[in-house]
Order: sequence, then C-alpha cells, then structure tokens
Amino acid sequence: MKNIIKILLLPLIAFGLFYYTVALDIKPKLGLDLQGGISVILTAPEDTEEELLIKAVEIMRTRIEAFGDVQEPEISISGDRSVLVQLPGVTDQNKAIEALGTTGLLTFRPVLDSSLNTGYSPAFEYSPNPDDPDNPIKTVPAGVDDLVGISLDDNPSTISYLLGVNSGFPVIYELGPAALTGNDISDAIAVYPDNEWIVSLELNSESESKFTNLTKELASKSGDQRKIAIVLDGEVVSAPGIAFDVDPNVGITGGTAAISMGNADAGESANNLAVILRYGALPVAFERSSIQKVSATLGENTLNLGLQAGVFGLIIVSTLLLLYYRLLGLIAIFGLSSFGFLFYSVISLLGKFQGYTLTLAGIAGAIVSIGLAADSYIVTFEKFKDELKIGRSFEFAANKAVQDAWKTILIADFVSISAAFLLYILAIGPIRGFALALGLATTFDLLFTRIYTRNSVPLISNFTKSPRMCFPITNKDLQDV
Amino acid sequence: MFKKLFLGDTKIDFYKISNIFYKMFIVELVLFSTVLVLTFTNILELNLSVDFTGGTTYQLETEYSTDDINDVMNSKILEVSRYQTFDNSSSIIFRATESTSDKEAEFLSYLSTKFNISDSNIEFQRVGPTFGDEITEKGLRALIIFLSFIVILISYRYEFKFSLIALIALIHDLLLCLSVYLLLNLEITPSTVIALLTILGYSLYDTVILFDKLNDSKKINKQNNINIETLNNTFNAVLMRSINTSITSVIPIASILFIGNYLGLSGALTDFALPLFIGILSGTYSSIFVTIPFLSKIIKK
Repeated sequence: MKNIIKILLLPLIAFGLFYYTVALDIKPKLGLDLQGGISVILTAPEDTEEELLIKAVEIMRTRIEAFGDVQEPEISISGDRSVLVQLPGVTDQNKAIEALGTTGLLTFRPVLDSSLNTGYSPAFEYSPNPDDPDNPIKTVPAGVDDLVGISLDDNPSTISYLLGVNSGFPVIYELGPAALTGNDISDAIAVYPDNEWIVSLELNSESESKFTNLTKELASKSGDQRKIAIVLDGEVVSAPGIAFDVDPNVGITGGTAAISMGNADAGESANNLAVILRYGALPVAFERSSIQKVSATLGENTLNLGLQAGVFGLIIVSTLLLLYYRLLGLIAIFGLSSFGFLFYSVISLLGKFQGYTLTLAGIAGAIVSIGLAADSYIVTFEKFKDELKIGRSFEFAANKAVQDAWKTILIADFVSISAAFLLYILAIGPIRGFALALGLATTFDLLFTRIYTRNSVPLISNFTKSPRMCFPITNKDLQDV
Repeated sequence: MFKKLFLGDTKIDFYKISNIFYKMFIVELVLFSTVLVLTFTNILELNLSVDFTGGTTYQLETEYSTDDINDVMNSKILEVSRYQTFDNSSSIIFRATESTSDKEAEFLSYLSTKFNISDSNIEFQRVGPTFGDEITEKGLRALIIFLSFIVILISYRYEFKFSLIALIALIHDLLLCLSVYLLLNLEITPSTVIALLTILGYSLYDTVILFDKLNDSKKINKQNNINIETLNNTFNAVLMRSINTSITSVIPIASILFIGNYLGLSGALTDFALPLFIGILSGTYSSIFVTIPFLSKIIKK
C-alpha cells in the first residue's frame, strides 16, 4: 500500500498540476521566436556601471509603455552590459524600434541665431563677391553640410547648427554649447491650468543654479537669443523663449519652470514634450547590436513543428519501449507521459508566475530531455536483465536493479544538471532558456527514477515471474547463458 | 545474433579489436586535421551566420525567378553577399553585410515592391559585429569551465586517466561535428553552438555510464585494476544499452529533421536538430570505440 502511494505520487502531482493549468487556462509563455515580434539587444559601452544600466532599463520600460501599442514588453539586463528588449506582436514595428532608438542625449542649449532671422541657415556667411556681385561668396564652418547648412554631428560642447520644426516649418538653429542635460531634470508633466497647455518642468536641486544662471543670461537678450533649444539626438524638439517678465538680474529660480505650448493640438505636443523631457535621455549610450524580427506565421510554424516532432518522437519511443520491454515498457510509458505533463505544467506555471518564456531553444531542450528520461528506464531495465542473467530470482533482480540503476543515473544526471547549471550562469540569451529546460527535465528525471521507477519495477514480480513478459527472451535463453 | 546482443552475451573481444579502432581513431584525426588545415588555408569556408559576422538578413516567402534573384544581388543598395533558396518551400533568404539603418530600410522597401509583399511579412534580422564575439567568448568560457569540472568529477569518482579518456571522446565528437559542418559548408548559427554544448553533455553521459559499469564489474570481481576479461565483459554487456539509448535519443531529433524537411521549414529548430543528430551518433560511437583503445592501453601498463 505504501508502495502504491509512492508510485502514484508523482503521476498524481503531474496530472493534478496539468488539470490545474488547463482549468485556469494557463499556457506556456511563448518567446518571440514562437509568436512573432521584435527582439532588440542593446549593448552599453564597456565598464558601464550596473546602476546606470538598471536606470536605463527603467527609463526604457516607461518610454515603451508610454508609447502604447505594445503588449507585454520585456526589457531585461542580460549579461554584463547588454539589455534585451522584447516586443511581442508589435503592430508598428518600425515605430517601436524608433522609440528605442531615440534614447540618446537630451540637452538644453541657448539659441544664438536661427534661419527665421536670416532666411537661410545661420551657418552660412555671405560676403560680397567683387568679381560677380550677383553671386556672393558663401563660407561654411567646418563640420557643416554645405548644401543645407546643418551640422553633420551634434556635438553638445561646441556651437552646432541643428534642425527643428517651428509651427510646421523647418527652422535651422545656431546653438551654443549645452548648458543642461536630461539628467538635470527630475520631472516634467503636461498640464492645462487655464485655456493653455503648459509643460511644467522640475529640476534636480543641484541643477537649480545652472538653470537660474542660464535664464538670467538669456533674459537680458532679445529675439531668437532669448530662446532655449531642447535638443534630443541632434534635433531641436522645441525652442521656448524666456518670458518677458523674467528679471535678467534674478533669472528663473526655485527649480521649476513652465513651458507654454499654446492650445492648438489638444495637448498632444505638450504631452510629447513632457515624455521626452521625462524619459528622453538615457544615462548610457547604447549600441543596437542585434535586431531580430519574426513574423507571427513563422513563429507559429516553428511551434507546430516542435510540437509535432515532440509527439511523433514520443510515440515512436513508446512503441519501441513496448516492443522491447513489454510490461516494463508500460511502466516506462506511464512514467514518461506523467513526466511530459509535469514538464508542460511547470513550464506554464513558471511562465505565469516567474515570467519564464518558452523559446525555441527551450523546446529543443525539452525534446532532448525525452531521450534522457527514456534512457533512465533503459538503464534500469538493462540492469534488471543483467541480474536475471546471473541467475538471480525475479523479485531479487528487480530490487537490485532499481537500487543499482539509481546510483548510475544519479551520477549521469548530476553531470547533466551541472552542465545545465553552468550554461545557465555563464551564457546569455537563448542558451539560458535551453539550460533551464534541460536542468528542469533532468531534475524531474531524478525524482521519477528515485520515487516512481524504484517502486514500480519491483512491483512487477507480483504479476508475473516470466522474463518473457519483460524482455524478448525466455527462461530457456537465460539458462543457456 | 539479436538475442545474443540483447542478452549482452555477444562475445566480441574488444581488447583484440581495440587496435583496429585505435587505427580508426588516428585516421579520423588525420581527416579532422586535414579539414582544419584546408579551412585555415581558406580552401574550405567557415560559413558563419549573421550573428557572428554582423550584418542583416531578410527572409521572405514569395514566387521568384532566377532573374529576380540576380536583380536583387545586383541592386547596389546594400552589398548582398549571399542568398539561399529551398527546394520544397518558396522561402528565400538574402544576406547583406553591415550598413546604415537608412540603407537597410531602403533595401527592405525595395524587396517589398520587387516581390510585391508587405514589408511586415519580411523577416528582418540585424546583428552588430560585436554580438557574435560575445556569444563565442561566453560559450568558450563556459566550455573550459565545464571541461575542467568534468575532469575533477571523473577523477574523483573514478580515475584521473578515465577523465582524460572522457575528454578525448568529447573532443572527438566536437571535431567530427565541426568537420561535417566545414565539409558540407553548413551555416553555423548560435543554435549550432548550443547544440554542440548539448552533444558534450550527451557524449559525457554515455561515457560516464560506461565507466560506472566498468567500476561495478571491477568491484564485483574484487579487483584493484581492470583486466582484459572485465573490460570485454563490460563492453559486451553495455552494448545493448548504448544502442537502445542512442535510438531513443535520436528518434525525437530525427523527427524534427524529417518533419521539418517535409514541411519545408528550415528554421532554427532544424539548426538544432542536425548537429544533435550527428553528435548523438558520434557520441555513441565514441563512448565505446574511442574509449576502448585507450582503456586497453591503461590495462597494458
């Protein structure tokens, strides 16, 4: 009776968990390669502090969520300095990649001049041409495109010529070196106090004086030079002017500022600006080291292939086990199917509660583990046969076999688990999913061997004492050995 | 014959034939080195996937003609280095070297107009050149730590010499897989690397089970050292399990290969399956026929 409980323990747990997952409609969380979407790996420069990386991930997560249109984005640090961004089933993929791409540097720079004033790029300087008065000589500073007059690279520490949009028209601004960066901002929100949208800006306490000094200087000027350009990734996002009631001797104090956004677009531009100000700058400059896009159909095909191959493999393995080991084969098949149900349920539950995603590599690990689990039964049965061969009684041989087999399987599985463990710790990305699936399967295999196989194989001597029922051999064959 | 095999009652004199397999092993080593030398002299090409070399791939499913492919190869928007088509599906893959994201977008829209499909149906993958290095570096580090760990474990449980033999068998399997990849010019992807790591686990598992059996026989016969008789008996007895195990392990993997081929899918899952298929067969072979000559040599001393 006690043995029966032991034998049924794991299958009952397996079927119970399976019933639970099916009843609650919990399914494995599929990776991008199985359901479609984009996966981007961003790599930070070497020796980036982990703290900055964590902060960057937080900012990216908020940005992606604010961007909307993305279901369950997954952003995680993988390895020493890589960030893995997974966006399953994103409808507008290019826009999403763009949203991750604009994670560059946010700066605040004083406007020195603009094309609103000159009519052409402020980078160009025209001097009279004594030979041909109709074609004045054009001089262009170094590092500036000589056709459109925009700086080729946005260097925040020198004067740059950058493009922005003002009331729907392109404007080229001449900008001084950056006075503040996105890190100086603690918060920004769009509000609608009275008949006008305002982006209310809050600065870090240590950056207050920088802002006050900047506004003091600009308040003494007029025209374009009263403006502060907000620059994100080399593009002027907005260039608000300093209000006329700001005293040039005092500047804007108190660490807060308000940017008037007018009333034209129901707050859309105010909201966009607030989002950029809040999350615009990441503390780290990332390199996009990998982008992978998988369409939903390909993902589905792969998943089906994996499932078909798995089921097909299980059927053939089961048939062979039945042909070879007969009654013992039944034990193995019952054990293997419980193993399968347990594995599926645990993967589903891990997906639900721990966020484990089943990827292609994980499926490969699972398929490999079918062979591994089947082998444990084969090792046990072969030991059983060996004991019968040296003339042991049926009952004794069965008991001896399960004990000996356990020792062998323990060390062999220990090697597999160590391999999986090492892979999990040392590797990145898909290899981890594979390692987890393999490690999990091997652990289950150990449990099944110790509790299920160990108690069920000896039980067989209650039903039959004939080797014919367990092996393709007869008593006579055994005696002839 | 089958009955004998099943009863572990085959009377193969493994000790006697160990010389043949030693020679086999030497022949294999010569073959592997030849393949490696040919690769280093660039006669054989190491076909690394975009994950290692950096660049972009575009996979689409469409009707196409040879002219279409030539047009794309000569399109000059990107440097298209290679294309791949499949016999039993209408998939086509273009691979290009690294470029700017604008050029990549331009090429994507070029393909979508050229083949008249929406660009969201084109699989796109872009990988920076450093990413592959990172995978390789991490993989190698994992491999070295894993192998050292194995040497310690087997030395502790059995004998130091056993651990060296296990290593030889492992390296044999790795070299065999690598040679097949090089000779057939198959593409090496990160999946291949994972599969190779698995093969190591498999081969080792097989070898460990064999050593365990050898150790058991030694204990049962109350010997301090393994003699020829123990060796022969053990190998004869373990032959059936080895065959059975490799059959049960290979079937699920073979079914991925064959079902995948039947459905015309040559995705990442078949990338896994092929090296596993080769590796498991090689692992079964090596755990018996590569270890046997070396075990015989230990006995001689």
